[in-house]
Amino acid sequence: MDQRLGVIDPGLICKTCGARAKTCPGHFGHIELVRPVIHSEFSKIIYMLLQTTCKRCGRILLNDEQIEIFKAKNREILEEGFDSGHIHDEQSEEQTSSIKKLKNLKKCPHCGEAQGKLRFSSPTYFYIDERRLRPDEIRDMLEKIDDSDLRILGIDPEASKPSWLVLSLLLVPPVNVRPSITLESGERSEDDLTHKLVDIIRINQRLDQNINAGAPQIIIDDLWELLQYHVTSYFNNETSGIPPARHRSGRSLKTLAQRLKGKEGRFRYNLSGKRVNYSARTVISVDPYINVDEVGVPLEIASKLTVPFYVTNWNIEKAKELLSRTEYPTILNIVSKDGKRKRVLDINREDLLKEVQPGHILERQLMDGDIVLFNRQPSLHRLSILAHRVKVLPDKTFRINFCVTKPYNADFDGDEMNLHVPQSLEAQAEAFYLMEVKHHIFSPRDGDAIITNSEDGITGMYFLTKDDTYLTKDEAAYLLGIAGIYELPKPDKNGKYKGKDVFSLLLPKGLNFEEKTKRGDFVIKNGILQKGVVTKATYGGGNRLFVKIAMDYGEDVLKTFIFVSSKVADAYVTLAGVTVGVKEYAPNSKLQEDRERIIQETLNNASSMVDQYKNKKLEPLLGYTMRDSLERMIIAELNVARSKAEVSLSKNEDPTNSAMQMTFAGSRGNMLNLEQMTMFLGQQATLSGGRIKRGYYTGRVLPHIAPNDIGPTAHGFVTTNFYMGLSPIDLFMHGVGSRVSEVYKYLLITRSGYLYRRLSNALQDFYVTSDESVRDANNNLIQTVYGGDLINPVSSQFAELEEKESE
Amino acid sequence: MAKKSNNYNVQYGEPVGMIAAQSVGEPGTQMILRLFHFAGIEATVTTSGLPRLAELVDAKKRPTTPITYVYIEDGAKKDFEKVEAIAKKINEVKMQNIVRRFVENFPKKRIKFFLNSQELEAAGLTSKQIASKIEKLFEVEAEAEEDAVTVRLQTTNMKIIRNTGVRIMRSVISGIEGVGKAIIQQDKKTGEYFIIATGNNLSAIMDVPGVDKYRLYTNDVFAMHKQFGIESARYTLAKELMHTLSEQSITVDHRHLLLIADAMTSSGTIKGIGRHGLSGQKNSVLARAAYEETVKHLINAAAFGEIDPMSGVTENILVGKLIPLGTGSVKLAMKSGDTSKVKKNK
Repeated sequence: MDQRLGVIDPGLICKTCGARAKTCPGHFGHIELVRPVIHSEFSKIIYMLLQTTCKRCGRILLNDEQIEIFKAKNREILEEGFDSGHIHDEQSEEQTSSIKKLKNLKKCPHCGEAQGKLRFSSPTYFYIDERRLRPDEIRDMLEKIDDSDLRILGIDPEASKPSWLVLSLLLVPPVNVRPSITLESGERSEDDLTHKLVDIIRINQRLDQNINAGAPQIIIDDLWELLQYHVTSYFNNETSGIPPARHRSGRSLKTLAQRLKGKEGRFRYNLSGKRVNYSARTVISVDPYINVDEVGVPLEIASKLTVPFYVTNWNIEKAKELLSRTEYPTILNIVSKDGKRKRVLDINREDLLKEVQPGHILERQLMDGDIVLFNRQPSLHRLSILAHRVKVLPDKTFRINFCVTKPYNADFDGDEMNLHVPQSLEAQAEAFYLMEVKHHIFSPRDGDAIITNSEDGITGMYFLTKDDTYLTKDEAAYLLGIAGIYELPKPDKNGKYKGKDVFSLLLPKGLNFEEKTKRGDFVIKNGILQKGVVTKATYGGGNRLFVKIAMDYGEDVLKTFIFVSSKVADAYVTLAGVTVGVKEYAPNSKLQEDRERIIQETLNNASSMVDQYKNKKLEPLLGYTMRDSLERMIIAELNVARSKAEVSLSKNEDPTNSAMQMTFAGSRGNMLNLEQMTMFLGQQATLSGGRIKRGYYTGRVLPHIAPNDIGPTAHGFVTTNFYMGLSPIDLFMHGVGSRVSEVYKYLLITRSGYLYRRLSNALQDFYVTSDESVRDANNNLIQTVYGGDLINPVSSQFAELEEKESE
Repeated sequence: MAKKSNNYNVQYGEPVGMIAAQSVGEPGTQMILRLFHFAGIEATVTTSGLPRLAELVDAKKRPTTPITYVYIEDGAKKDFEKVEAIAKKINEVKMQNIVRRFVENFPKKRIKFFLNSQELEAAGLTSKQIASKIEKLFEVEAEAEEDAVTVRLQTTNMKIIRNTGVRIMRSVISGIEGVGKAIIQQDKKTGEYFIIATGNNLSAIMDVPGVDKYRLYTNDVFAMHKQFGIESARYTLAKELMHTLSEQSITVDHRHLLLIADAMTSSGTIKGIGRHGLSGQKNSVLARAAYEETVKHLINAAAFGEIDPMSGVTENILVGKLIPLGTGSVKLAMKSGDTSKVKKNK
C-alpha cells in the first residue's frame, strides 16, 4: 500500500504528513482514467440535463420569453440561492413538471438545431437516434450548458458543474477507509474497496497499453466498457442492469453505496446510533424495599463505573480521603490539568496523594445517591429512560421497585436493562431536574398515572380495605412498622384495628377525595378512608387519587405514598395469604346450570336461524346476501351468549373465591378469563374476523362434522371450558384460534414498529417556541398555540381536576 | 374560555412532536390488526385498528371503506318517513338491481326490460320514472309498461343494440353514483334520524334537498378537503384518528392527535408522513439520507449543490452536536459591536 495515502500500521510514518498511525488522518489519492466514464449514480441527472438542453449549443430548450416567465415565477429561488432548501418545495415540483415537457421539443429555440431522439438505457448507456454516445461526447455536451440555464434547472453552478458527472479522474480513499486485515495464518486480506480499485487500475493500464499500441477500435471499446463496469460497481454493486462483482468465494462485494445504505449501513448504524462508555447491563429483579426512584446496583458494577470528582479548594480534604482508600469507595483514575489520565494503583497512590490539587479531576467509583439513567429496550417512549438514584447492593442483578416496571414494560423473567452514568455536571443536572422518576409518575400520552402498583399490590390493598377486615394489634403494628409509622389508630371495642384505618394512616394528612367506582363509592375525608374499597380504579394505572395527591401535596409526597403503600400492600397479601388453585375455577352447581342453559339457548336460536335460512324465510339484512346475513346474525348471537355468561358469573359472586376477588379488585384476570375457565370458551376468531371455514369442500372443518353443517359448533364455537377440559373437536378449534393470534402478534409488532418509525421521523423536529407556537426545524408554523390551550398533556388530568373543583 | 391553569402549560422547547409520535406509536402493539370490524349487525363494515391508523397518517388518497354521514335539516330530521325518502333518493340504484331479465329484439330494433316489482317498490320507483330517466340518459325512445320498459332504437346494428342494453343495465337509474347501503339510524340522545351510507360523493349529496349541508361528514379526508377545504380536512383527520384509537380503548390526549393533523395539513395540502410526505420534504440532506433512500438523497445533494442548514434533530445527532430542542434550544444572543471596551477576564 502506498504510504502517501496515510498509515494505519503502528510504527510507520506517513509520507504525506509525517505523522504516525494514531494521528495521521489519511490522505486521498486519485487514478487518472485513460478514457472518461460516466458516474452511474448520476446517470439519471445526466439524462435530465440532456433532455432539457440543446445537444449543439447547450442552451436550455426554453425560448427567451419562457425563460423570463420562469424566472419571474421562481425569483425567490434564483435570487436567494439554494441554501434554504427550496429544492424540495412545491414550487420546484411545478418547475420540474414544466421542464419535463421539454423532452418532446423537436427544435432548439436558440440555434434552431433539430433535436434527435434521446434514449437512456440504465445504467450508463445514452443514445441519440439510436447512435450510442461516448462518455466524452456527453461530457462535452454537459460542459456547454450555460450557468444561468443551470440555475433554472435547479443546479447551483457555484457548487457543482454538470461536466463533473462524467469522471476522468477517480478519487481514491485513504487506507483508513479500507484497512487490510492480517489473518491468523499471516495472510493479508484486503478490503472489498481495495479489490475494486485494483480491478480499475488493472483495466485502466490495459486500456492505456492497447491505445498506445494502436489496437483496433473494437478492442478499445470493449476495454472501455469493462472500465465503465468496474467504476460502476465500485460506487454501487447493486446497480440494476449489471451483474454484481463477486469475491472469489461467490460473496458479492460491499462497495461504497452498500456501506452507507440501510439498517446496518453507516448512517443508521454508526451515525444515528452511537456506542457509549460509562454504561452497564445486567438482569433485573424486584425488591419491594427499594424506593421507586432508586436502583440497586451490584457492587461489582459500582466499582467499575466512575463519576468525575472535580477537585477544588473546598473539597480537597474529601478528595484526599477518597484517594487514600484502598477499598470500595475509592478513586480509579486521576486526570491532571493537561488532560493526562493516570490509573491509581497501590504503588503510585502515595505519590498521587501528594500531587493532587484543585483543578484535577478524580474518577470516583459509583456511590449511593449518584444519579444514573436507567433504560429498557425497546425504548418506545420517553419513560423508557428515567433517572434513578444509585443504591449499591450485593449480588449481581439490578434491583428496582415493582411500581416502576410499567413505564419500562419490564418483568423479571430474565429481562436485562442498561444503566448509564452521566458524566458532566450539566448532564447530571438535566437528569435530576427533568428525568427523575418522580417527575414521570404521569404519562405524557394521556396524563394517567403510569408509575403505580398493580397485581399483588392491588390485591393486598383490596383485602386490607375491605369492610370486614379487622387486624390484631400485632398485625397492625407490623404493617405500620413497615410503613415507618409508629403510632396505632384507635382500636374498636374488641381491641381490633380496622383495615381501613391502617390504610388511612398511609395517606397524606387532610386529603379529601371522592370517586365512584364499580365497587361502590370511594370516599376519603380529611385524610381518612370513610367508605369504599381500594381497587384498580382508585389505586392502579390511570387512577384519579394520585392526581389529587400530586396536585395538593406535590410529587415527593406522592412518590412516598406509592412506595410506602406498596410495601404495606405486599406485607398484607403475605399476611392474609391469597392463594389461587384449581378449585377457584370449579364451577358451582348454579353456574353449571347456567352454562348448560345458555349454551342450549344459543344453539337453539342459531339452529332456528339456520332452519329459516334453509327454508328461505330468513329476513336478509340490508345490503347483504342471505348467506352473509345468516353469518352475521349467528356471530351476533354467539356474542350475546358470551355476555349472558358474564352476567351469570357476576351474579354468582363468591367472596371466598380468590380468583374472583382478584378480578373484582382488578389486580389480575378479567371476566373473559373466568368465563373461559368455568363456563365456555366461545367463538374462536380467524384472521378475517369471520367464523372458521377452512377445511373440506363439503363445507366442514373436520371429517367428524356433518357435511354442510352451518351450526355454531361446526365452525369454531367452543362449548366446553378449561376446567372440564376440551372435547377433541373443540381442542382443534381452539388450536386454530391460538395459531391465528400468534400470527397476529408477529404481524402487529413489525407493522406498528414501522408506523412508529415513520411517525417519529416526521414529527421529531417540532417544538414549542417562546411565542407559544409549534414550529419545525425550518421555522415553519405548525400550530399557533400548542394544542389550542398550551396545556401539557402530562398535566392534563390536573387541569381537568382543577377546573372541576373550581366550579 | 378563560385559561385557569397556567401551572400546567408546556415548557418552551418541549419536543411536542416526538412526544406525540411516541404517544401514538407506543400503544400500537396493543391494537388489533383485524382489518374489518363488525359493530352490531346493522352497522356498516369499516376499517379499524392499525390498518386504519396507517391509512390516515399515510394520507391514502382513497380510504378502504369510505362512509358518509348524512344529517337532515331541522324540519324533517325527526320524521322517519321523510328521512327514509331522502335515503331512497340518495341510495344508488342501478338498472341491474331492479331488472329481472332483458330481451333484445334485433329485427324490431327494441329491447325489453322486465322489472322486479318487489325491488321496484323497495327503491320507491315506478316504470314511468325509469323510462324517462333512460330517455334522458341515452337519448332513445323508452316506453313504460306495467313492470316493464321497452326501449326503441334507430339502428339495426346488432352490436350497438347489445351494447346499449348492457350500458342501460349498468347505468345508475336513481340515487347518487357511488353511494350505497344507506342505513337510517337514530341518535339516542336527540331522537333525530340520520343516514349512514357507503361512498364519498359529497358534492352530489349536498345537492339533495333536505340534507343538512352544514353537518355533512365523511371519513374520507380527501373528499372533505375537496368539498370543504383544508380546515375541514384537518378536523376530519383529527376526529378519525381519535375515533380509531378510542375504538380500541386506547386513550391518547387529543393534543397529540391535533398536532399530527396540523403537521399533515399546515402547508395547505394534505401531506402524509413518511418518505413521500413530511419526512421526505425535510430541509436537511443528512436527515433524509439517514431515513430512507440514503444514496439517492446524497447523490442529488451533490449534483444540485444542496446545503444542510443543520437545524433539525437527526443531522445534529449525526455530527455529534446537541439537538436544538428542549434544553438545547436555548441560544445566546449577543449585541455585536465594539468589543474593545469589554474588560478581559484575568
